[in-house]
Amino acid sequence: MKRTFYLEKEKCMGCTNCMRKCPTEAIRIVEGKAKIDDDKCINCGECIRVCPYNAYTAISDNIEDLKKFKYNIAIPSTTVYGQFSLGTKICKIHNALIGLGFDYIYDESWAAELVTKAIKDKVLEDKSVKPKISSNCPAIVRLIRIKYKSLLENIIELEAPMEIAAKLSLEKVLRSNKDLKKKDIGIFYISPCPAKILSVKEPMDKKDSYINRVISLKEIYGDMIRELKMHNELCFSNPSLTGLKWAISGGQTEACDFENSISVSGLENVIDILEEIELGKLDHIDFIEALSCNGGCVGGTYNFENPFVANSNIKHILKKTDKGLILNKDIDKYNQFKSKGFFDSKIIDKHEKVGKPNIKEAVKMIDEIEKFYEKLPKLDCGSCGAPTCRALAEDIANGLDTIDSCVILKLEENK
Amino acid sequence: MKKIKNYVYKIQKNDFTNAGKVSSEIKKTLKKIGFNKLIIRETAVISYESEMNIIIHSDGGLIELGIYEDKITLFIKDFGPGIEDIELAMTEGYSTATSKVRELGFGAGMGLPNIKKCSDKFIIKSNNKGTIIESTIFLE
Repeated sequence: MKRTFYLEKEKCMGCTNCMRKCPTEAIRIVEGKAKIDDDKCINCGECIRVCPYNAYTAISDNIEDLKKFKYNIAIPSTTVYGQFSLGTKICKIHNALIGLGFDYIYDESWAAELVTKAIKDKVLEDKSVKPKISSNCPAIVRLIRIKYKSLLENIIELEAPMEIAAKLSLEKVLRSNKDLKKKDIGIFYISPCPAKILSVKEPMDKKDSYINRVISLKEIYGDMIRELKMHNELCFSNPSLTGLKWAISGGQTEACDFENSISVSGLENVIDILEEIELGKLDHIDFIEALSCNGGCVGGTYNFENPFVANSNIKHILKKTDKGLILNKDIDKYNQFKSKGFFDSKIIDKHEKVGKPNIKEAVKMIDEIEKFYEKLPKLDCGSCGAPTCRALAEDIANGLDTIDSCVILKLEENK
Repeated sequence: MKKIKNYVYKIQKNDFTNAGKVSSEIKKTLKKIGFNKLIIRETAVISYESEMNIIIHSDGGLIELGIYEDKITLFIKDFGPGIEDIELAMTEGYSTATSKVRELGFGAGMGLPNIKKCSDKFIIKSNNKGTIIESTIFLE
């Protein structure tokens, strides 16, 4: 699997909205329908967000999958707590999940707090490559793999909080339920975005994710809202306040508190920052939190609530939560975990050797693209089915399209 | 060895609106050709620092990017006023940038030293008519 959403062709009007918004120019309109090049798609979800006809549909597991396991663990994304009306108690949200059939909840925020510590150590221990880029947003890691290969070595090789949460919760449940085996336990992540769903279905750093099933937040939201009303206020556990900040842009940098860090969200903004790193302009920065969605993970396509409202809801929780109630013994075991390499991951293609390029051929190709580009009207109107005139020129040079696709040139011819 | 391709980019004095565009363009071209990250990074740093030098300190100039089988060359030329004391200008931290320029975050005095550091071969000549830098990066 390379993509965790699909196009319902009958709904697609071929309107070019998604094509224009795609940060990697992975979409073309072919015969009136959007077509995604999976090799270029980073699963950021911008196309899903922007489609006026809701033609894109998430591939998500669902609540029925709970029946497949004897014991089910829910790992709610940190953004979940921003999705309900202001003042909704954490315990109510947890109770809703229990009501839906989960047996245990491990909060992603606890893992995020541990990963915060791990990031601090990684940044301070190795200053050979600067700035270090957080690996938390899988869409950004994929963007770097596709378009900014030179920055692969800047990515901090750490497991994402959701994977850490899965590992810790599994250990905990196995320890306290001696009759359960690993295969009896379903670990469900509730995801705010397609990028994280793909990270479960097709991890970049290992064969299998520690998470067994992943449900989009929108998929489970209705069930949660209905359950929210029915339960008492018995508390399950509280989220880590340090980790909960990860839901919003700036949260990681605030939690890590380095001398020089940058927090950037929204793909266009992230791309600008990556360009600056490549030019060597940000060598003085220790850490960069780069998140694909505007406003951070609360901006993820599969959240229900407006990202700015969700941000406010989360800040409210951060302010109002009684710190005395917060307890998680895993946090105290950080050093023990670290020494076992518990947090470490590997970017598979980090040290991929680039062969010697065929310079002559490549230059010939660039000239060829330039030749076609010069002929095009440079209006970037998108009518040809490519996002820009340059993209069309590249397609033509690669034999994927012809100059006849340009509507403007045709109109001029017929004048 | 014969030059495969030559690209010329003109740069205007004080043009902060377009600052960084030339070096981005150069970087994009090198990425398209498929050079390894070290080559791309070195060339990007040299072209960015040169571009900013021309914008901040000179009366305008140009960058010529030369692509060969075995090397990349950057020929950087401006039209004055020239560097008074090259040795001093090559010192890390030395800068003649005005406070206005410094407020913009430039003028830390690392430009020329950085260019030299990233080059395998570095030649600088300057008189009151202008400054010429020839920077070479070998591909092997």
